[in-house]
Amino acid sequence: MSRRFVATKVEVEGREEIKIVERPDLEPAPWDEHAALSVVGQRVPRVDAPEKVTGQARYTADVQRPAMLHAEFVRARVASGKVTRLDCSRALALPGVRGVITAEDVQTISHQGAPLFDTTIHWAGQPIAALCADTPDIARHACALVEVDIETSPHAVTIEDALGPSAPAVRPSGNTPKGQPRIASRGDAPAARAAADVVVTREYRTPCVLHTAIETHGAAAEWTGDALTVWESTQGIFQVRKDVARAFKLPLNRVRVVKDYMGGGFGAKNYAAAHTYAAVALARKLGRPVRCLVDREGEQTDTGNRPATRCHVTLGARRDGTLVSIECDATIAYGYSGWLASPAKIFHELYECPNVHTSETFVFLNAGAMDSFRAPGHTEGAFALECAMDALARELGIDPLDLRRRNYAPADQEKRRPYSAKHLDRCYAEGAERFGWTQRRVDAAESREHARRLRRGVGMASQIWPAGGGPPAYATVRINPDGTVDVLTGTQDLGTGSRTVFAQIAAESLGARLTDVRTVLGDTERTPYAGNSWGSMTTASVGPAVRVAALQARARVLEAAAELLESDVAQLELSESSVRVRDGDRSMTLAQIGRKLGDVMIIGEGSRGANPQDTAISAFAAQFAEVEVDVETGIVRVLHVTSAHDSGRIINPTLAESQLVGGIIQGLGYAVFEERVLDVATGRHLNPNTHDYKIPTIADIPVIDAFFVQSADPVANHTGARGVAEAPIIPTAPAIANAVADALGVEIAEIPLTPWRVLDALTGR
Amino acid sequence: MASRQLRLIVNGEEHSVPCVDSETLLTVLRERLQLTGTKLGCGRGECGACTVLVDGRLAYSCLTLAAGCESTPITTVEGLGSAQALHPLQQAFIEHDALQCGFCTPGQLMAGVALLRDTAHPTPTQIRVAMSGNLCRCGTYAAIERAICAVAERSA
Repeated sequence: MSRRFVATKVEVEGREEIKIVERPDLEPAPWDEHAALSVVGQRVPRVDAPEKVTGQARYTADVQRPAMLHAEFVRARVASGKVTRLDCSRALALPGVRGVITAEDVQTISHQGAPLFDTTIHWAGQPIAALCADTPDIARHACALVEVDIETSPHAVTIEDALGPSAPAVRPSGNTPKGQPRIASRGDAPAARAAADVVVTREYRTPCVLHTAIETHGAAAEWTGDALTVWESTQGIFQVRKDVARAFKLPLNRVRVVKDYMGGGFGAKNYAAAHTYAAVALARKLGRPVRCLVDREGEQTDTGNRPATRCHVTLGARRDGTLVSIECDATIAYGYSGWLASPAKIFHELYECPNVHTSETFVFLNAGAMDSFRAPGHTEGAFALECAMDALARELGIDPLDLRRRNYAPADQEKRRPYSAKHLDRCYAEGAERFGWTQRRVDAAESREHARRLRRGVGMASQIWPAGGGPPAYATVRINPDGTVDVLTGTQDLGTGSRTVFAQIAAESLGARLTDVRTVLGDTERTPYAGNSWGSMTTASVGPAVRVAALQARARVLEAAAELLESDVAQLELSESSVRVRDGDRSMTLAQIGRKLGDVMIIGEGSRGANPQDTAISAFAAQFAEVEVDVETGIVRVLHVTSAHDSGRIINPTLAESQLVGGIIQGLGYAVFEERVLDVATGRHLNPNTHDYKIPTIADIPVIDAFFVQSADPVANHTGARGVAEAPIIPTAPAIANAVADALGVEIAEIPLTPWRVLDALTGR
Repeated sequence: MASRQLRLIVNGEEHSVPCVDSETLLTVLRERLQLTGTKLGCGRGECGACTVLVDGRLAYSCLTLAAGCESTPITTVEGLGSAQALHPLQQAFIEHDALQCGFCTPGQLMAGVALLRDTAHPTPTQIRVAMSGNLCRCGTYAAIERAICAVAERSA
């Protein structure tokens, strides 16, 4: 008999982790491309849309508790220094102010890589204290009355300042992790380059960009005796439970974390942070519920970012376009902390090439910490790699699409393993067809012959992203006595549609009507464990657990029905919430069975089995863009984007396409508008709002045709689904930059393509 | 800060609420009347999540002083329709999947309703101008545009 608990590899946002997994009791046969499915794959409306359009959906900021107080932060206005005086007496004397917490109240708790409320200042915007009052207005007013003296010290907010000879020590251990670059290599890239027919070398820069979820980070905390409830806008309820329990030394069964609805995450809301700890600590200190919402300035400054990069790329190729060497030397401007998301990884993965060498230098700065932002690493790296591929195509006189097809990677060369399935070739073909790649290129070129001011251009790029999901994840399916069905799983719906897709998977697997099924998630006390909603993992991780739970519930209800219908289980079929005896006219609905059974509760439990070992599970896409550039003003207008995706089986095409469109629009912001600006002299953030930090508006969006190539992936997991959410943002910026380069006849080396950058590119500056 | 009773008419219902002169309409709606459908996104009149109708006109409630709305009719998302009787634009948002996380949705709906009231058959440009004060980070704009067009087409 095989062991019940086994170790398995799981990939999270490009990181590989070993996890212990409990094998499910049941590993059903996969839904392959011939599976006859009636609910899965349907374009059913989002199940929670009625709550959202009527304003009834409750977000963390909407939580109201009796006698609740409100907390706000005092933040450092300098980038580096030491707090020499912190006087809250005037603030505490303000009517309605109930208390304050500073470093001594929260010893051993950390925030963004430093002790919470640290008296040593590491970045401008770092929280120093939190004030608590009857209303948010009073708390804000009180913060302004806190007197802070900070003895400033030299700071570094640019790569050059942090690596220079007289650089201040951003971190005591040095301004780069372990004091050395991270190297990854296969073959002998320099030797292959020396023998190449053609070599292109370019340098690319990408900006630091901010998640800018419309709902800022926030938490509300309430103690009942020694038990704590935390409402948190989070992508990981169980992660927050773990963080809070550890910080306050509580048993896990005394901490409940609830997230009903959340207003966007995009990677920034994966852990407890200053706002969570402030709410919990103040609630304990003051004996009342406390809500702490990060304000917009704090959100833009102190809740994570996609770091800026500088990538030096060298590609070597034969005359026919075959890549012989890929090299990338990347420098990543990191902020005070973060994890080492790799812009170089995609250089090893996207194309077949025997010789690849990458070097990454991560640089700590006196600036807000990096955090995961939709496809961290790959999005930055793809800009450099895919722009360099276009430079190579021009050098060789080859169509950029042909160059990419010529270097198609049929297997994962980096780890020497097959893909569970890969249909990037179909993405290239179907995307090019729907975009009209060949004709549009010709048309754009012709239009440029007589357009003096408005120049059109087309470009493309492609992408790969790990999207297999994996264990552990659990689900429970309950059939109530009235025939309705509850699906309980401890995952989150970020607006991605997980409530809907898990209801669809459960209805399909059980044989219930979709309208009878409700998904309950986002509550550590009501639901079994599921992991963070990150890394495009949720559907592929939780979906199989839901399917197993529903199948187990189905088997049990059929046993009950066999008894009630005086039949044999093998003779029964269950669909549309009704059990029928084959070759007969007897049937019972789930509601009728429930009534007969009384309060017997049919419960099915499911878990996520291991991924196939030594198999790469990824999402693929090819994206095509057309732009129009005004050469007098430098304004770039993106006119059309076509995006073809392979993510295995799609549970709900409408919702999945919405995610593709959303990712492309975020990618458009990255390409054209978005850029955090820090003042080099003071280290302060100059655009910490949504006016000066430009995210796309409805007026900026092109025609977007985003779709999935039809496929199922029975190797990845038994639902056949792979991840969707992160893939679409990865190729957008390079596709747009390549289109701009086509329009102008000038290469693009840096984003965002704001007017002055475009004009500089035109004038060769 | 002096607090006084303020007479507010919200979604046709009259309320007398305690209010400090410096408080915004958004604060009073959310914290006093528990009408939490109207959202705080930036507090600076930039994102549009707090959009409501004040005397029939679009207003960012985060920049509107509550005291200035005394006895003035106010409409919030809760006044548009209910789950049982949805406003046509609410229905169209559902049909066209014009929402993801849903946080900006109430503001988008208020802006869209005001547009359709003033312009029964808006052009794409009119939609883009009218809706560009409401940010969405999930990227539902194209679906919002389709939803508004669908309602316009249905009205003869």
